[in-house]
Amino acid sequence: MTKGQTPPSKPPRTSEHRNTSRSFSAIVLREVLSRWGARLGLAWIAVLVMVAVFAPFIASSHPLLVSENNSTTSPVLRHLTATDVALLAVFFCTLFLLFVRTALHVKFLILLCAGIAASAFSAMVVSPPQLVIYEQYRERQVAGHFDWALFAPIPYSPKDYLRDHGETGLESPLAEKQRTHWFGTEENGADVLSRMIHASRIALGIGFIATGIAMIIGVIIGGLMGYFSGLLDIIGMRLVEIFEAIPTLFLLLTFVAFFGRSLYIMMIIIGVTSWSGYARYIRAEFLRLREQDYVQAAVACGLPLRSVLFRHILPNGVAPILVAASFGVASAILAEATLSFLGLGLVDDPSWGQMLNQAVTSSTFNWWMAAFPGGAIFLTVFAYNLIGEAMRDALDPYLKKSSM
Amino acid sequence: MLLQVKNLKTHLSVSNETVQAVDNISFEIGKGETFCLVGESGSGKSVSALSVIQLLPTGIASHPSGQIVFDYRHDDGTIERVDMLRINEQKRRKIRGSRIAMIFQEPMTSLNPVYTVGDQIIEALQLHNPELSYGEARQRAITTLEQVSIPNPTERIDEYPHRLSGGQRQRVMIAMAMACEPDLLIADEATTALDVTVQAEILRLMRELQQRKGMGILFITHDFGVVANIADRLAVMRAGKIVENGTLNQVLLKPQHPYTQSLLAALPENLKKVHRSSDEPTFRSIDASATRKTSNENLVEITDLRVYFPIKKGVLKHTVGHVKAIDGVDLNIKVGQIVALVGESGCGKTTLGRTLLRLINSTAGCIYYQGQDITRITRKQMQPFRRKMQIIFQDPMSALNPRLTIAATLTEPMAAHGIGDSKDERLALAHDILSQVHLEPDYLWRYPHEFSGGQRQRIGIARALVLNPRFVVCDEITSALDVSVQAEILKLLLSLRRERDLTLLFITHNIGVVEYISDEMAVMYAGRIVERGPTELISARPQQSYTKKLLAAVPRIKI
Repeated sequence: MTKGQTPPSKPPRTSEHRNTSRSFSAIVLREVLSRWGARLGLAWIAVLVMVAVFAPFIASSHPLLVSENNSTTSPVLRHLTATDVALLAVFFCTLFLLFVRTALHVKFLILLCAGIAASAFSAMVVSPPQLVIYEQYRERQVAGHFDWALFAPIPYSPKDYLRDHGETGLESPLAEKQRTHWFGTEENGADVLSRMIHASRIALGIGFIATGIAMIIGVIIGGLMGYFSGLLDIIGMRLVEIFEAIPTLFLLLTFVAFFGRSLYIMMIIIGVTSWSGYARYIRAEFLRLREQDYVQAAVACGLPLRSVLFRHILPNGVAPILVAASFGVASAILAEATLSFLGLGLVDDPSWGQMLNQAVTSSTFNWWMAAFPGGAIFLTVFAYNLIGEAMRDALDPYLKKSSM
Repeated sequence: MLLQVKNLKTHLSVSNETVQAVDNISFEIGKGETFCLVGESGSGKSVSALSVIQLLPTGIASHPSGQIVFDYRHDDGTIERVDMLRINEQKRRKIRGSRIAMIFQEPMTSLNPVYTVGDQIIEALQLHNPELSYGEARQRAITTLEQVSIPNPTERIDEYPHRLSGGQRQRVMIAMAMACEPDLLIADEATTALDVTVQAEILRLMRELQQRKGMGILFITHDFGVVANIADRLAVMRAGKIVENGTLNQVLLKPQHPYTQSLLAALPENLKKVHRSSDEPTFRSIDASATRKTSNENLVEITDLRVYFPIKKGVLKHTVGHVKAIDGVDLNIKVGQIVALVGESGCGKTTLGRTLLRLINSTAGCIYYQGQDITRITRKQMQPFRRKMQIIFQDPMSALNPRLTIAATLTEPMAAHGIGDSKDERLALAHDILSQVHLEPDYLWRYPHEFSGGQRQRIGIARALVLNPRFVVCDEITSALDVSVQAEILKLLLSLRRERDLTLLFITHNIGVVEYISDEMAVMYAGRIVERGPTELISARPQQSYTKKLLAAVPRIKI
């Protein structure tokens, strides 16, 4: 074909051609999913995500549906907080995006925008009643006001101390005949299972957000160090060394002492102190990939720096930090649990670590207070480690060869 | 006969998939004889060799049929005929190293970096000769190092491998293999990674040692030049089968099998003859006349170019010295010419090619493109020149971004330079280019890992051509390819050059390719160009001593 000839019609781009070729990430994903450890880990995380998102519908003292004087209302919906609404919105947005065929970074951007919009919207619009009386529904049901009522599977809110049942306190699992507490109650009488379900949000949130912050900082600083090297590299590496010298736990303790206890400060501090590892990984990858022929070819073609960095280098160098991130999520969860266990965590909201703390501070040892939250922490950290391990195996060509 | 391989089959099975890597081959090697196994990559040469020495991983490899009969010489001199497939592992271990030794391809990785050279030889010696004391073994190691012409063996024996050059390391590997005086030496592409001058020395050394010790050599290679130099008999392998087997002259001069004939025809030195003898006017003759018409104008010119890489030390990385990769090079490339840049590894030829395109910044000197100085201009000012100057890389595996489809790889540069108005138009252009490099258009939606090396190299060429450049640097583009693929790529390049009026700087170490493709050649040594002129002139009458040495070392088929 010569130059003068007119270009032929648009090349066929049918689904058949698409299917015959699989991208590198698709292969890695398949490889990861073919491992039992990863499947189990992902299944546990998926269960945890569902539980965290739908927590108010799974464990709540407010009935899901109530029929009173021939009008049906949903007290649960009325008591949803802004956080609940935002979480639900983001969850359904993610679900929707899974079935839409667009580029990954577009999806990410949409999700980020949706998250911000949903939080802002729900913060303005959603206003649950300030004063929550948990026992009102139970009392009215006993008094026969309701035609019928549909309760959540676990009909106790995490902060429902069961005042209507008198002086409640520690109860071992299934001790009381007329109320079922699968995992028992804590010293104030609140249901342990319900508290654990609501605490899963903190565990997941702190893991994802802290690691996300660390990854973003690490990728930016590490990428700049690796690509430009020279003076920037020297300064960057000293910065990394400084941050590696700060013990996260002590910094957290200091911040808690100064600024009080806030989940968000905890997330930020864990994120800000743990980016150095990612920066090192990314720097090494960029240093290696910068010399690769296809990167040189991209430069020789005169592609803009943005494309060279983020299209040609980053996707090829991101593998090791994905592995590191899945271990990082686990360690962030542990850091939060440690703080809460030490009694420096959140005051109001339940968290797994804080429940462990309750287990040891009460006068008697209550096995159910230690076993269930401890088990949850263990399983979650274990799940992330399994996923990390499977990803490392899938991405490491040497390990794959030796397992042949 | 020292070794008789009869109807050997080797199957490799990985997760329920079985590959017949070696399919029913038979050959024999006598004492003092060199037998070559020749073939393209993936033809089963190495697996055959590893089957002989029984080094294949036991879980994967199986031998459904065949015999490998070896004359095992016991320490007392008695000879026992053993079948390597049927003796126990203990006996095999005794034979390996002491009676059958092997040299591998990669000299950089086959020595253990944490032990000295001497330790590694002495360990092998003492293992197979337990009666030797350390002093005696060391003395013998020094003798063998001397035999393989390592200078100053009494001192070098205590060196670590990283202090030796690639050629010296390969010589140490040979010394290790020789130390136990084996009856059979297997050399698996033992000289492929080495420069031609070093290769010539190693081959000479092996022949010498063979004559002295009377051992048989099983030499595996893809290079017919080497075969012509060393072999007594050879076998040509293809897809696990031996397609032709005979003495050197039989096979090289009167090849019977069409595959052997096509392999020999694909050699660069034979390509030229086909072109010249054909009746129709060839590309070269057209090109030659075209070149003469336009040869006055310099497309690219460099003057006194220097590229120094600083050696940095300490916390603050202060510079303690320089590696002079390019040390004062003047070169001008005329419009329409193909200039070949020849040299051994480490002479700075790749650095020169990349510096021309401003992928590496120069320390001193000037680069002109059509008279415009592009040595110090900014990234933005460089942009129009990026479109005119392109590069094709050596390793087709690493030259394409594994995460992008071919369509993305080809259309992104067009978008960056504003070629084509819409995505569809750019896709149509990419589609065009793919057919120009003889690839199927639906390959656009595939990823690089789905292609063979030759196909990837074509895609690399396509990427260089999408911007419609005038000047292309070809950096060892055929050295990772098999000869038949190399011939196709070279022909393709010549036809593209004619269609698109390209000027090429062809960087290579393969003299055969240079003589086939280039109008002019420049010989580079230690960062300098030592000789330059028309290719025919230099290859026939080299003036400089280095050029003479280089050309003399090239293994050629003497016909």
